[in-house]
Amino acid sequence: MARIGVFVCWCGSNIAGTVDVKRVAEEAAKIPGVVEAVDYKYMCSDPGQNTLRKMIKDKNLTGVVLAACSPHMHENTFRKAAVKEGLNPYFIEIANIREQVSWVHEDKEKATAKAIDLLKMMVEKVKRNKPIEDVRVPLTKKALVVGGGISGIQAALDIANGGVEVILVEKEPSIGGKMIQLDETFPTLDCSSCIMTPKMVEVYQHPNIKLYTYSELEDVSGYIGNFNVKIKKKARSIVEKDCTGCGDCWNACPMHKNVKSEFNVNLSERTAIYVPFPQAVPLIPVIDRSVCLHYKKGGKCQKCYDACGPKCIDFDLQDEIIEEKVGAIVAATGYDLMENSLYGEYGYGQFKDVISGLQFERLLSASGPTEGVVKRPSDGKTPETIVFIQCVGSRDPEKGVPYCSKVCCMYTAKHAKLFAHKVHGSQSYVFYIDIRATSKGYEEFVRSTMENDGAIYLRGRVSKIYEDNGKLIVKGADTLSGNQVEIAADMVVLATGVIPKKGSDKIAQMLGISYDKYGFYTESHPKLRPAESSTAGIYLAGMAQGPRDIPESVVSGSAAASKILGLFSKSEYEVEGTIASVNKTTCVGCFYCKRVCAYSAISKEEVKDRNGNVLKVVANVNSGLCAGCGACVNACFSKSIDLKGYLDEQIFAEIKSLAV
Amino acid sequence: MKTVINEQERRNFASEVESKLHDKLAKCYQCGKCSAGCPVNFEMDYTPNQIIKMTELGMADRVLNSKTIWLCVSCNTCSTRCPKGFEVAGIMDVLREVAAKRGIESKTEKEVQTFHEVFLDNVKSNGRIFELELVGKYKLKTKHLFRDMFLAPKMIEKGKLKMHSDKVSNINQIAKIFKDFE
Repeated sequence: MARIGVFVCWCGSNIAGTVDVKRVAEEAAKIPGVVEAVDYKYMCSDPGQNTLRKMIKDKNLTGVVLAACSPHMHENTFRKAAVKEGLNPYFIEIANIREQVSWVHEDKEKATAKAIDLLKMMVEKVKRNKPIEDVRVPLTKKALVVGGGISGIQAALDIANGGVEVILVEKEPSIGGKMIQLDETFPTLDCSSCIMTPKMVEVYQHPNIKLYTYSELEDVSGYIGNFNVKIKKKARSIVEKDCTGCGDCWNACPMHKNVKSEFNVNLSERTAIYVPFPQAVPLIPVIDRSVCLHYKKGGKCQKCYDACGPKCIDFDLQDEIIEEKVGAIVAATGYDLMENSLYGEYGYGQFKDVISGLQFERLLSASGPTEGVVKRPSDGKTPETIVFIQCVGSRDPEKGVPYCSKVCCMYTAKHAKLFAHKVHGSQSYVFYIDIRATSKGYEEFVRSTMENDGAIYLRGRVSKIYEDNGKLIVKGADTLSGNQVEIAADMVVLATGVIPKKGSDKIAQMLGISYDKYGFYTESHPKLRPAESSTAGIYLAGMAQGPRDIPESVVSGSAAASKILGLFSKSEYEVEGTIASVNKTTCVGCFYCKRVCAYSAISKEEVKDRNGNVLKVVANVNSGLCAGCGACVNACFSKSIDLKGYLDEQIFAEIKSLAV
Repeated sequence: MKTVINEQERRNFASEVESKLHDKLAKCYQCGKCSAGCPVNFEMDYTPNQIIKMTELGMADRVLNSKTIWLCVSCNTCSTRCPKGFEVAGIMDVLREVAAKRGIESKTEKEVQTFHEVFLDNVKSNGRIFELELVGKYKLKTKHLFRDMFLAPKMIEKGKLKMHSDKVSNINQIAKIFKDFE
């Protein structure tokens, strides 16, 4: 016999102002099975919870219904209170009479009637509740980090320092990501490679980190605590363990001036066998087979092999597939810059001296193609006047993207500042729409670029750039003075918009995590769960989530790491018990459920007789993956799937309670 | 309007103004608080913040021929309220002097310019205002001999219009101030 207790919460005047709570409680008391119904000012308060606990104990309740705020708010609070009195937490039901009644209705009479109806439904439901146990999933205490930029490195180091094994997968031949390409970093102007390389080396030497560079994620299956990943280790054509990184091979390569260096963003050349930059980690070259003469001319050229002391070059090495089992994954795939060629009016690609911000970064860098001397690409002369254009691609819903790329205001101010420091008497002009300098020390940094380094800021966009007499004529607007302005520049730097890394969508599909319409990975909750993806066990870090600067990327890497360390601190992972379950007797194996499942939680299972003959194939729900959304329940033609806590019987009883 | 920025000219003009102003043009936020509070803004052709930006961009012609620099009444509301402590009223004074030095005559605010010149001459020779001389010279230059004449008796009666100059004791120091500025 059901013994139900009912509590009607006032929520101060939030509910009591619109709903006659006393009457709701009186009506509730009349429902068969209800032992006692009371109203209380704040059920979520400590005394409120004690009232609940006391009644469970004193009246020996079998179920509780709270008419209160949305279960999103305090379901957990009340469940925990119930557990303390030995009641199964799933015997707590909430009728939402705040968000669904008092906040959306004005007529007190009608609102009260609706509140009573909602309450009745929940009472009927709770009478039919069955105890549900949370699902426990075993954990493989090993993490995978996808992407070896600053956020991935930070995540890997933090996890590894927490005593957990980490696998770090990086697509490029070296870790370091975009940050290692930068010269100095705002707003403190510390040299990027000086602060980055120690971290890179730490990753390489860390006993808990297994580093796979020049490798890609090939396949991911499984669920939180139990992911099976396949990593494709592309053939470097080098026997890594023997290589000393001496450089004899790339010095011997005849392909000197033929291939543009990716690291220097096309501002210099590299050889076919190469390391992307001198501080590369690992310092092991790779042969670019698409350009290497050995592969193109049928094995004739082997100058690198001849030059190599330890003979560690193996032209016949093949791609390798490595399988690993991990318990959690960090997706830190990073970003790319938009194509500047979208803006024909700026002449990128047409005029050699119109370059991107990342290219200017390489021109400033001591490890760059000009060894840190600012020289323009066309004739190698030092520019005296540079025009910087912000928001190229960003904040342009027509040709580019509508969002703000967040870092350009700051790096442009830094560029103008460093240019003033390196070329005395030079002048920079910055065209901007707004200046966004919101972190610690940022506003002061931009102001000092204007006030101390003489950069002139013009509020307005540039409409066209053309060449005249060896100068780039920049036609723009200064909306503050209301003038069209024309500036003769020696060089133009475009602050190009940030977009997700090419191929990050494929990785998202592999991992089963969601991304927004631009391709940035979406957080489980934008404010309260910023480190988690939509899929349990997969965490996010860095620019893959959206534009952010280095400090924020580091923070997000650490956040993902701390979430994983937290997850691994328990022996098992607990999942809410409200998941789908299949009646294998009635399941006909149509797998329509498999098609609608957004979480890939349904797999095929063979039902065999005692001789091992397959009788039929039925659906099986993976409790680690199931999110309890109920899509499969609706999709099932043979009514063979039930969602625990939301059984058909319960739903029908709820509806029937209204039919008076 | 279209402006071709000539880097050398821009620098010359901006640094001329800055050195006389003892302030940096780049300090300006372009927030517009000066223009928001300016009591004569409605008559100006460029708002005070636009004058600052255009000076920074070296648009000498337009700035020195503007109405704004002559219409400014130096009430200092702008400078008092400026969040960056920029000398907004001061820049108007500097620009008036630069215009005078370059022999630029305002086409629209001739009388204001004349008054400005007479006023400063007066201060230069007396160390303070000698009203009778100021009024006399202004009227002769503008040829408005009888305008406001009826105010004179009342001013004399109240002792506001003295008949003889009352020079400051150390006129050399006044001369030094003028010389320093030039």
